[in-house]
Amino acid sequence: MLVLGIETSCDETSAALVADGRTLLSNIIANQLDLHSKYGGVVPEIAARRHTELIGYVINEALDAGEKTLRDVEAVAVTAKQGLVGSLVVGAAAAKTLSYALQVPLIGVHHIEGHIFANLLSNPEIPFPHVCLTVSGGHTLLVYIRDYCQYELLGGTVDDAAGEAFDKIAKFLDLGFPGGPIIDRLAAEGNRKAFAFPRPLLKAKTYYFSFSGLKTAVINAFKHQLARDEALPLEDIAASFQEAVVDVLVAKTMRAAKQREVSAVSVTGGVSANRRLREVFTNICNREGIKVYFPALSLCTDNAAMIAAAGHARLMLNQADDLSLDVIPNVPLEVQYAG
Amino acid sequence: MLVLGLDTSGYANAIGVAEGERVLADSVFETRKASLSQIMLNVDSVLREAKLSLEDIEGFGVGLGPGSWTGIRIGVTVGKMLAYCTGKSIKGISTLEVLAYHARDSRTLICPIVDAGAGGAIYAAFYRSGNNEINQVSEYYVGDIPGLAELIREPTVLVATGAQKYRSALSQLMKSNAIEALESVPSGVSVALLAAARLESGEHDDTLALAPLYLKESTARAFVNKYRRRVQAAP
Repeated sequence: MLVLGIETSCDETSAALVADGRTLLSNIIANQLDLHSKYGGVVPEIAARRHTELIGYVINEALDAGEKTLRDVEAVAVTAKQGLVGSLVVGAAAAKTLSYALQVPLIGVHHIEGHIFANLLSNPEIPFPHVCLTVSGGHTLLVYIRDYCQYELLGGTVDDAAGEAFDKIAKFLDLGFPGGPIIDRLAAEGNRKAFAFPRPLLKAKTYYFSFSGLKTAVINAFKHQLARDEALPLEDIAASFQEAVVDVLVAKTMRAAKQREVSAVSVTGGVSANRRLREVFTNICNREGIKVYFPALSLCTDNAAMIAAAGHARLMLNQADDLSLDVIPNVPLEVQYAG
Repeated sequence: MLVLGLDTSGYANAIGVAEGERVLADSVFETRKASLSQIMLNVDSVLREAKLSLEDIEGFGVGLGPGSWTGIRIGVTVGKMLAYCTGKSIKGISTLEVLAYHARDSRTLICPIVDAGAGGAIYAAFYRSGNNEINQVSEYYVGDIPGLAELIREPTVLVATGAQKYRSALSQLMKSNAIEALESVPSGVSVALLAAARLESGEHDDTLALAPLYLKESTARAFVNKYRRRVQAAP
């Protein structure tokens, strides 16, 4: 079963071919960073225009790179839920046309379900049930996954997403966009204990996250240094900030893993590319005898391969959509776990 | 040549099929916010009405806008993917030209107008009809009605959704009775007929490169460009 995946929920125009939900044949990602970086974030109208220009080329390139033709495509999966509406519309319009013209099934996928499948695509051996932390510039979610497409939401962020905190700090410090990789690089040179930043909701019994107060604490520390005319150790600020985020993400995920008595943890989404996050998860999981899985780096940020993999799983559960498929910019991951 | 035309620049999916000068189907589906949701179902229903299948279509025409930005992205994306999947060629047509075509029997100047959303802004252009052709005789205009009034110096027919409203505003500003109005919405078959004429003469667009006609830059970019100009102008 060859599935063509399409992802245009934010600022990456992507198309991919995945065979049988497991074998990645191609994964073309055209990012628009050059267009958005000067604004310190993604400008929705600019993103939507760029998707419209690129979508055909990216689909064509995915077929070429996978050495397949349109006639080989057996289903089309597209991100239809969660994202910028103007961006989602372009991918969905393309997917619907392909489904109609090629007479193959159409599957609308939730963007976050895509991230969950990015890790299953990289590591098909992840056992069920497991706990999944999916964390990016747009979301931070802790999910209990009983089986394919069966989710129980444990918690999420009450304000900023973790990746968003990285972006905002980097923007404030005038370091560039996106903030994740920049802070990761700077932090590697800094002292993680230089600043005692708060660990929001670390002790709370819930699985909710909050990063807005931490962001303010970092900005205040910076201003304090500036006011006292002291040196600005950007590396130390970055390392201390990153450590606070990592501590909270890891602690809550591990608590969920123990409470739910699972043997494996999956960490996915753009922030799962962070080197310190991977290091701390790996160390703690080794100590606790829990397996931890991360996606290949190319599947951490937004991509269509994960959408194709998720679409394949939905199709196997007979959950295809019809041609009236519409996009929904803001909707929780569908919870299908009952009891 | 059997051509399917579509335009989704307004509040409707306008879809039609023509062969030569013969109209095989022409429908305007009011969709409002359901444009994306309904587009393929509407394409399918128009093809069924014409007793055709997608494989029978020999070329595609698509209304490029101006109009609703999300709307024109839907039409252009659907059009280019239909052409890509079937391997047939495509020609994009300005939605203003489609409206002007509806006044092709007029001997006066033709001025199609499309609502540009906020603050009474409009898109417009001037056309003349003759020798079975519609020719654009001005640049595209983006601005307000008083600005458009300054450009009109001869009897003119306005073609628009809400043409009467524009006519009374312009007549009042110009203190003139030389303005006529033709109420009209973009039609799919007009797109098909205009596209067919060009496709038959070998003129077509690069399918994958086809892009909407926005006529306005996005707000963020406009802001940055304005800022840059101001900085450059500073002594």
